[in-house]
Amino acid sequence: MSAIDASTPRPVVRSRAARARAAVVRPLLLPFAWSLAAFDVFVISWMFLGSFKTTRELLLEPFGLPREWMFVNYAEAWRAAHLGDGVLNSVILVLASGVLILVIAAPAAYALSRFGGRGSGALSVLFILGLGVPVQTMVLPLYVMFRQVGLIDSILGLVIINVGVGIPYAFFLLTAFFRSIPHEIEESAAIDGASTSYTFWRISLPLVRSGLITVFVLQAIGHWGETFFALVMLPTQETVSLSLLNFMQSMQASGARYSVLFAGLSIVVIPLLVLYIWLGSRMIEGIAQGYSK
Amino acid sequence: MTIASKVPPVLDKAVERAPRAHRAGEGSPWVRSQRRSRFAFIAPALAIYAAIVIVPTLYTVWISFTSWAGIGPMQFVGLQNYTRMFRDPVFLESFRNTIVILVGGGILVFALSFTLTMLLQNMWGRRAVRMVIFFPTIVPAVVVSMLWGFLFNQDGLINQVLRFIGVKNPPLWLGTDLLFTTIVLGMVWLASGMYTVILMAAADGIPKELYEVADIEGASMWQKFRYVTFPMMADVIGVCAALWAIGALKAFEFFLTFAGTTGMLPPRRVWNFALYSYASAFAPESIPNFGISAASGLVVLLLTGVFTVLSLRVVREKVSR
Repeated sequence: MSAIDASTPRPVVRSRAARARAAVVRPLLLPFAWSLAAFDVFVISWMFLGSFKTTRELLLEPFGLPREWMFVNYAEAWRAAHLGDGVLNSVILVLASGVLILVIAAPAAYALSRFGGRGSGALSVLFILGLGVPVQTMVLPLYVMFRQVGLIDSILGLVIINVGVGIPYAFFLLTAFFRSIPHEIEESAAIDGASTSYTFWRISLPLVRSGLITVFVLQAIGHWGETFFALVMLPTQETVSLSLLNFMQSMQASGARYSVLFAGLSIVVIPLLVLYIWLGSRMIEGIAQGYSK
Repeated sequence: MTIASKVPPVLDKAVERAPRAHRAGEGSPWVRSQRRSRFAFIAPALAIYAAIVIVPTLYTVWISFTSWAGIGPMQFVGLQNYTRMFRDPVFLESFRNTIVILVGGGILVFALSFTLTMLLQNMWGRRAVRMVIFFPTIVPAVVVSMLWGFLFNQDGLINQVLRFIGVKNPPLWLGTDLLFTTIVLGMVWLASGMYTVILMAAADGIPKELYEVADIEGASMWQKFRYVTFPMMADVIGVCAALWAIGALKAFEFFLTFAGTTGMLPPRRVWNFALYSYASAFAPESIPNFGISAASGLVVLLLTGVFTVLSLRVVREKVSR
């Protein structure tokens, strides 16, 4: 053990040198560490500023404030690009799908995580396997099936698809939340004579409120800009992403109206930005926690 | 759907969370009441999940063995769709592109995310940076890819900057030669924010003492990364790799947006699996071929399964060691 005594001074000196080096290097690295964030802020402000310019100004003077604030771009995007219809449909899709997913997935997650019984494990796995199924392997039969029952071009049809596709994820997250409820709470409810469904709706469900909100918000974010199923299932209806794609297509014939498209993009992004400012840090905490365990 | 598929937390946790029997006695009225309600609680979710996900997926397997235009008679053709597909140059190109995204894009994403994670450790303003770089993750891919396209236009911002710093003939990013590279870079940009956030959280979970010991031993920054940070984060990296694989295999919007002036679809040279599958069934200018579309969709499903199992197995091995 005497070797340690002899070698102790050296590492300390080295570590001091390393620290000194770090003190010099770190300020130099700061701009690089910030580069991705700076780029993101830049792109977002470029989009918002561009949405208030004329197309000419947007192309020739991409930097700087608009000379004249063209609020009319937003009116144009809302009407000419049919974003009004798209927003309305997407809002319906988001709300209906989100609520239905919770109402349908929560009881299943509760039963399979709390009741026990034969086959619960296998059923849970079956639900969770759905997380890995790509949309390409479901779309063809769904398309044919929906055409037969007249659900093509119907928002209701898309809601049904969203619910089916969204169940695995909701199930997965809610299972984790239900598991964290202490059994004592349900037991005392049982002793007081509460029925199973009363316990579920009145006691357990309110206890996992933050889980319900998490699921709803994540699903809403996903459904807001969903493109694949909308593209296949809605030949004439609009959703926000279809309106944007259609408008971009139409520019090939009608000439470039980039500033209107930028206004359209902004209309889609603004609700997300508001949501993010409100819930963003909690969202990040949740995702960071979910993985680092 | 998109974010849901982007951020499923540790997949295998759920499997081990198989329910255990309730602590109350088997015969108690409470348990019997639960058993009675069980069906009513599970049936709706199972029914709609089966109708939208399970049955269509199984039916897609059947479609892949037939020749079918989506309407009219189906003709059983055995494995012909698969053999035809693997001889189709467009499919092979899509295959190649998908693998390039998966591996090449993956390397870029993780190089970038790791660099940022290391740089941001103890850096001033890291919470603010984290907040900003995560935001693109929740923006629809259609929006992100359109902005990306405008940035890389012939006279777009990127080229204006390049001209400004003295590049005479800046590249045609959206031309047929570079379009694929541009798309991959965009996907890398979109993904690195999310993975940096995850990796940062994992790095924060590493006990400080390990770094102190490394400091005392005189380890360099690289050594600390190689022998402390990296091994301690192995399982998170595995999960991230699985997520990237799943996301990269089904990336769709980023390609669709670059249809440009050619019509509804982008040029064939940049297609990936998702686009090939979509185009085979729904391209407006050709006869729908559901058999081929189903077959290529199943290749995606198969690869997704393989990559998920692989990544999670790596995780398990690391954990059990």
